[in-house]
Amino acid sequence: MRIYNTYIIIVAILLLMTTVILAATNQQSLGIYYTAYVIEALVVTELFIYFNKKARRGLGLVSIVLFSGFLIIAFLEIFNLVV
Amino acid sequence: MLNKNPYTWIGLGLLISGIFLSVAAYFIFLTTWLVAMGIAMVILAFILLVLARTVSWLSPEVSSLLLETGTENIAALVEELGIKSKAIYLPSSLTGGRPQALLPLHTNSSPLNIDQALPHRLIVKYGPNPDDTGLLVTTTGTTAVGMLETMPGPAPAEIEIALTHLFTGLLNIADGAKVSGNNDHIQVEIRNPRIENKINWHEQCFGGTLSSTAASIVAEALNKPVTISTEKHDKGKCSIELEVLY
Repeated sequence: MRIYNTYIIIVAILLLMTTVILAATNQQSLGIYYTAYVIEALVVTELFIYFNKKARRGLGLVSIVLFSGFLIIAFLEIFNLVV
Repeated sequence: MLNKNPYTWIGLGLLISGIFLSVAAYFIFLTTWLVAMGIAMVILAFILLVLARTVSWLSPEVSSLLLETGTENIAALVEELGIKSKAIYLPSSLTGGRPQALLPLHTNSSPLNIDQALPHRLIVKYGPNPDDTGLLVTTTGTTAVGMLETMPGPAPAEIEIALTHLFTGLLNIADGAKVSGNNDHIQVEIRNPRIENKINWHEQCFGGTLSSTAASIVAEALNKPVTISTEKHDKGKCSIELEVLY
């Protein structure tokens, strides 16, 4: 389980650091926060290539859900710009 | 029913507290970064809950118990027969199924030259001479090879990727492996092994668990029999030299 722990700790640290940095820059858009989280989670997941098949399949599902959220945010932003 | 491992409980804890934090921050505190923090907790919770489903139900103690029982039985058999020769790790093409280890009963038997698959038996005859008899046994490497999704090619880099994937991602018994060598000798270096080697008769014949597993993978990758020449354990490192027989 050591590889799982390393992965979780890296993701947790990255998400926390992103929150601190964006909060320090007085970022008020939730979409920016969410987009940064999704990109980080996807990149770290791709870097951990040595996960077993079941874990990779599960994390792939999480990535799809997170990416769907990102697409919804992008769609809403475009919609607001157009309307 | 919930798989009651720490990942599940931490995941559920983060999920509930993340939702509460986001809702409270959005409607009561009106703080964006706090809402974002709650979302980050929910993302982490999803990851933990997914990983919780992939963790084995068997405790490490039970796994260790099963491994030790298996090796103790083989060790008793090898010791009783007084075998002192080193195991030869054969690829699946020479055993007619999965890679196994051949333990010659006599040290003075002729050089190994198997041209057809050996029968599925414990005691097998592998050459023309009466002394060319040995034990064909299943090792940890036999099962480990089956865990790999694709079999590595003969290049050291491909074997290295397969061993790292196995030791780090699947078995979680080391931090990585480095493979180098030529046609006759292969050197495997395993970083931070977390499995102890015992000095007993069994290990002298078959090598340690890590070496045995590495030898099976290398034999399968090269499609040639290999044997463990040397095995050294330094601080945080296990160096294995494998000899390719023909």
